Amino acid sequence: MPKLRNIRKKPKLDMNPMVDMAFLLVSFFMMTTTFKAELPEEVRIPPSSSEVKLPEKALCTISLSADGRVFISLDNKFERKRVLDAVGAHYGLQFTDDQRRAFALLGGVGVAMADLPALLDARMRGEPFQQMGIPLGEGGELRQWLLTARMVNPRLRFAINADARAKYPEMNELIETLRDLNITRFSIVTDLKSSYAAAD
Amino acid sequence: MLPPIEEIEVERIHGRDKQERKASARDIDVDMNPMVDLAFLLLTFFMLATTFSKPQAMELLVPAKPDEEELERETPVRESLTISLVLLEDKIVRYRGISDPETFDMPYDNGPLREFLLGAMAEIDGLVVLVKPLPESNVEHLVTVLDALNVTNVQRYALAEPSDFDQTLSSAIQIEEP
Repeated sequence: MPKLRNIRKKPKLDMNPMVDMAFLLVSFFMMTTTFKAELPEEVRIPPSSSEVKLPEKALCTISLSADGRVFISLDNKFERKRVLDAVGAHYGLQFTDDQRRAFALLGGVGVAMADLPALLDARMRGEPFQQMGIPLGEGGELRQWLLTARMVNPRLRFAINADARAKYPEMNELIETLRDLNITRFSIVTDLKSSYAAAD
Repeated sequence: MLPPIEEIEVERIHGRDKQERKASARDIDVDMNPMVDLAFLLLTFFMLATTFSKPQAMELLVPAKPDEEELERETPVRESLTISLVLLEDKIVRYRGISDPETFDMPYDNGPLREFLLGAMAEIDGLVVLVKPLPESNVEHLVTVLDALNVTNVQRYALAEPSDFDQTLSSAIQIEEP
């Protein structure tokens, strides 16, 4: 009787459907993704029960860190360059193409106008740069930034992304700056807490 | 002379016949595994980088800066209709009216705050809540109070400058501290 030979055949798996599926998911995530905005300063958002979502487009976020430094960020990369040019023109600053590109890639900016070219240069070289916040107050540069951003895009909406630990006087100053520019409707970024949800 | 059209062997035009082509197709065997690896790598990256939970926001409407003409026309609010919430570092001090108020302390806690606001609304018709944050209060306190006002549907509330009396609440507390 002939011995039964164990035929060792390499199992072959058709990988094509798997590739199809994987790339389908990749394309889905590529299209739906919005990258986390890179902020120069971590902000602890205060909790609230508000379930209103922040607008996705045409949003200008003013961040206030716990130690009272102010940052500004625009969601639209193309508008950033135009805002930079306009603000620069107001303060008599000219930016190189490299600097403008660096600005377009910057998540948020929080330096005085005089330090801005240095920040952008450092960014181009990939070096860290300590951002001290945009100066506030009467005739402050924040006012000029907001004014310019609004001129570039009149439909821009504003949100204050303030750290829960930030003191009220700075917050008040932000609100007053917005009021001063006749921006009477804006959002405060909050974190939905289920324990805060309306019990009644 | 070209041969008649029926005699041309279409199969042979490209030099290979059907049999040959079939054979070569069977031989090509692309290893798909690296491609799967790459696809899943990208997938993981995008899944981790994406933000699914968009941040929530609280809408705030503030009155526009009045010009001088409007300042003159400003309508005063009856004292008895107002309730002031003075935000201190670790508690809220509330009182009704302005002259000779009786003050009560409240913690920064949603439950009592909402309960109080609902009670006040039931009691006072046309209630106006004045939120007066002192410099030592922070954003979280402000958001907590505004949130309670939104949830309880208080129709009229405003951020107001703390009066001299409100300032004394703060300093009185500071003296008490050891």
